[in-house]
Amino acid sequence: MELKGYKQDKFFIVKASGRLDATTATEFEKFCLESIQQGESMLVVDLAGLEYMSSAGLRSILVVGKKLKSAGGSLSFSSLTPNVAHVFSISSFGSMFTVYDSLEKALGNS
Amino acid sequence: MKNRGLAFKLILFTLSGTMAVLLAAFAYFYHSSKDSMMQYAEENARNLTHSTVYQIEKVLVGVGKVPLNYASLLSGRNFEAEDIVRIVERMVSANPEIYGAAIAFEPDAFAAGAHYFAPYCCRKHDGHLTNVMLGDASYHYFTMDWYQIPRELNQAAWTEPYYDEGGGNMIMASFSVPFYKGKDGEKRFQGVVTSNIALNGLQEIVSAIRLYRSGYAFLISRNGVFITHPDSRLVMTNSIFSIAEEKKSSLLRRIGKDMINGGEGLVALQSGLLLRDKCRLYYAPLSSIGWSLGVVIPEHELLEGVNRLGRMVILIGLAGVFLLTIMVMLIARTITRPLKELSATTVEIARGNLDTRLPDILRGDEIGTLARSFEEMRLALKDYIKHLTETTAAKERIESELKIARNIQMSFLPKAFPPLPGKNRMEISARLEPAREIGGDLYDYSLIDDDHLFFAVGDVSDKGIPAALFMAVTKTLLKGIAETGMGPSVILNRCNLELCGENDSMMFVTVFCGVLDLRTGRLKYSNAGHEHPIIVRRDGQPEFLPVPEGFLLGVEEASSYQTMEIELKPGDMLIVYTDGVTEAVNAAGELYSHENLMATVRSCSSLSAEGIATEILASVKLFSSGIPQADDITVLSLSFTGAKV
Repeated sequence: MELKGYKQDKFFIVKASGRLDATTATEFEKFCLESIQQGESMLVVDLAGLEYMSSAGLRSILVVGKKLKSAGGSLSFSSLTPNVAHVFSISSFGSMFTVYDSLEKALGNS
Repeated sequence: MKNRGLAFKLILFTLSGTMAVLLAAFAYFYHSSKDSMMQYAEENARNLTHSTVYQIEKVLVGVGKVPLNYASLLSGRNFEAEDIVRIVERMVSANPEIYGAAIAFEPDAFAAGAHYFAPYCCRKHDGHLTNVMLGDASYHYFTMDWYQIPRELNQAAWTEPYYDEGGGNMIMASFSVPFYKGKDGEKRFQGVVTSNIALNGLQEIVSAIRLYRSGYAFLISRNGVFITHPDSRLVMTNSIFSIAEEKKSSLLRRIGKDMINGGEGLVALQSGLLLRDKCRLYYAPLSSIGWSLGVVIPEHELLEGVNRLGRMVILIGLAGVFLLTIMVMLIARTITRPLKELSATTVEIARGNLDTRLPDILRGDEIGTLARSFEEMRLALKDYIKHLTETTAAKERIESELKIARNIQMSFLPKAFPPLPGKNRMEISARLEPAREIGGDLYDYSLIDDDHLFFAVGDVSDKGIPAALFMAVTKTLLKGIAETGMGPSVILNRCNLELCGENDSMMFVTVFCGVLDLRTGRLKYSNAGHEHPIIVRRDGQPEFLPVPEGFLLGVEEASSYQTMEIELKPGDMLIVYTDGVTEAVNAAGELYSHENLMATVRSCSSLSAEGIATEILASVKLFSSGIPQADDITVLSLSFTGAKV
């Protein structure tokens, strides 16, 4: 899995591509938590290149989400591939986190 | 060479090098010494020869003066016969070297009518002198060498040496001096003053020359005849030329020629010519008499000193090399012995006896360091293996406990069809294929009362022991709450609250649960983030069952869950599964997917619940054959037969 993070306006964008499963979930979690430690609180996770997400991935998202919530921040997602969109929908992640069609849309809304 | 020991190589190279150096040094030394020795010997010989020649010539010249003087005397005036006899007598008596003397006149020169006039005096053995008159019919002295040669040559001359006729085996030579009378302005040959000189004095002088043990000197005459020689048999009987002839040596002949021609020189001769062994010959002429002196130096005796020294040096060298060998061997041994010990011990250690102590090598050098390093390594290895063994044992313990846990887990799952009074009103079958690791899928079904069947399928996030424990708790909770008669949404709500406890790791479980009224076929169900089940109506196509939205259990306390209801008609089938089915991967990396599942269900929709469950599982397994199973696969199929009791 490849992770890239950069700041844009008040958002911190995390681009994840590849597979988010039991072997890579820890990496993703650590990456996001580090950025939160450095003061970021508005995370946008763009999953344009992510082709697969397992329950381990969902769990790491929940951990990050909980941390952000206690810091008064927000976590949103954009550019979900069909597989990942399905997983999100089945597990009703949509009720917990906002999901956008594209990164621009995610950055457009404050 | 590569299989030879260290000691051998050390010795070989050290010795080769040392011996090469020693040999080179020795060769140089020997050669130089030999040259020096030879030069010295030659110098010596030359000096000796010259001094001897001088000595001899002194004697000869001294002796030769006597007749010379008398010859000049006779040339001056006339003497009476008596005087002549007395002169002759005087010549012998006054000169011990002169053995005999004579003054011989030309025919009729002394006195007219005296054909022969040659008074002669000689010394006998007993020392007495006798006077005779030479010359008669039997002794025509005019033709004798001693008379003729000086007359012809008009100068004093020595004859060839000869043996004394009077016995005594003495070698003599005659020195004859012509005398003349001046008459009418011209010189006229009158006669010869001659003296016989014993050469034994000369012989003694020459014989006294002793060089080394077998070196000697010899004199040869004008014709090359040996006058003196250590081998007395050769004296007067052989000449240098006869020796040359005998030995077939043209070199010796040439030397002889040069010698009698008055030459001087130094020649190297091979063995057998003048000496048994190789030798050097130095020769010089006795010009006054026309003879030649040769000095023979034995080469090997000359070099004896050098050779002896050389032998000593070689011996010392060999002894040294021998000692060196011993020392090198000893030193090599101090290296190879500990190395052998070390390697023997290492072999033992390699066999697994890590307790084998390395030999104590208390040395400051590299071998000592090596031994210490080995010992450290051994101890480190021992520690490591102990640690590894403990870790492996611990791991095996855990794995066996995991196996036990897995077995316990599986044993909780209901296998058998619950016994129902009378006929079967529904058929329920479930298959759970665990992945390699202990997993988090669950299913459960039981009759909560005579008419109501509770069933649930769940999938805990992740795998491993935490997931298994979470699963056990969830299952217990679900069943426990269901048995109080609550509806599915309540079950999920309550369960969720319980699970939300201390959950920093955000573990969650997806659940689909339902309660089927066996009398009416009414199914109440609720969903918490789980895969949507498939419903196949009798004579219909498989479809996804619409489910109420609900978040995963265990994360959000505020989550709420709803119940939905449908009516199952006899022959309807419900298939609940986990994502282990749809996310099974094949060798090409493709997912089994919902499409495949739908197609499989479609193809076996006429089968029983058990049949369908088995078929789906088989299909998934076939799809992902060769790929190790990553996630638990669970299929639960429920068919409502609607048969009344």
